[in-house]
Amino acid sequence: MKFKVSEKYGAVIFSIKGKLLGGSETNDFNETIRKYLKEGKKNIVVDLSGVSYVNSTGMGMLIRNYTTVANEGGKLKLAEINERMRGLLSITKLNQIFEIYDSVDEAVGSFRQTAEA
Amino acid sequence: MKIKTKEINRKIKVKSTTDNLSRIRDFIHKTGMECKLKKEAIGEIILAVDEACTNVIKHAYHFSPEGEIEINVKCKNNKFSVSITDKGEKFNIKDIKDPDLEEYHKEKRVGGLGIFLMKKLMDEVKYSHLTGNRNRVTLVKYLPN
Repeated sequence: MKFKVSEKYGAVIFSIKGKLLGGSETNDFNETIRKYLKEGKKNIVVDLSGVSYVNSTGMGMLIRNYTTVANEGGKLKLAEINERMRGLLSITKLNQIFEIYDSVDEAVGSFRQTAEA
Repeated sequence: MKIKTKEINRKIKVKSTTDNLSRIRDFIHKTGMECKLKKEAIGEIILAVDEACTNVIKHAYHFSPEGEIEINVKCKNNKFSVSITDKGEKFNIKDIKDPDLEEYHKEKRVGGLGIFLMKKLMDEVKYSHLTGNRNRVTLVKYLPN
């Protein structure tokens, strides 16, 4: 997997590309999330539109980071997941943990709505 | 239009490294295409086989790269069957309960979803212990007529 980071309206967007398989290749991703948390940037969006495949270890990596962010008082939200991944999140009921948005903009906007509320 | 599945038998043998998982996924993809399976079914089988082989690498061989994994695929009579054989530590699926997803989510636990997914994605998941200290997991998907 590869990922790019960008920021929009105070949210940090991680755009992942390729296969989400967990394991050592996600160390860099985990470290980068921690780096942003230390800077006080706790609104995280993971854009999964470029993910072609995910296994249970990859899903575990998302849960682990969700927990890391939540423990720092932040929130990790998912955006643009494909039909297959939506199905897997439903089978494993992980769709009850993650907030899932159809677009990155909607996910980013949801943080602004929470802040304004 | 009725799509008739083609009868085939294919085999691959790889060393027990996570790097070989992509070879295994490609093998299943190619075999599924050859057998004229639907894209969705191929995707489900690939994930189930990936999870089974990951378990063999982790639990049977404890990440030793010297172990061997043999994968046999048989497509016959609208049944797609994949058997994964190893010579690692014995592993009994009956000892592993399905995760309590409610508890799992409360604790945000990581891991343990692999076997659960295999059972959900395939129609049959069978474990057997063979002569020569071999373990086999067989994953079966019934194909619509």
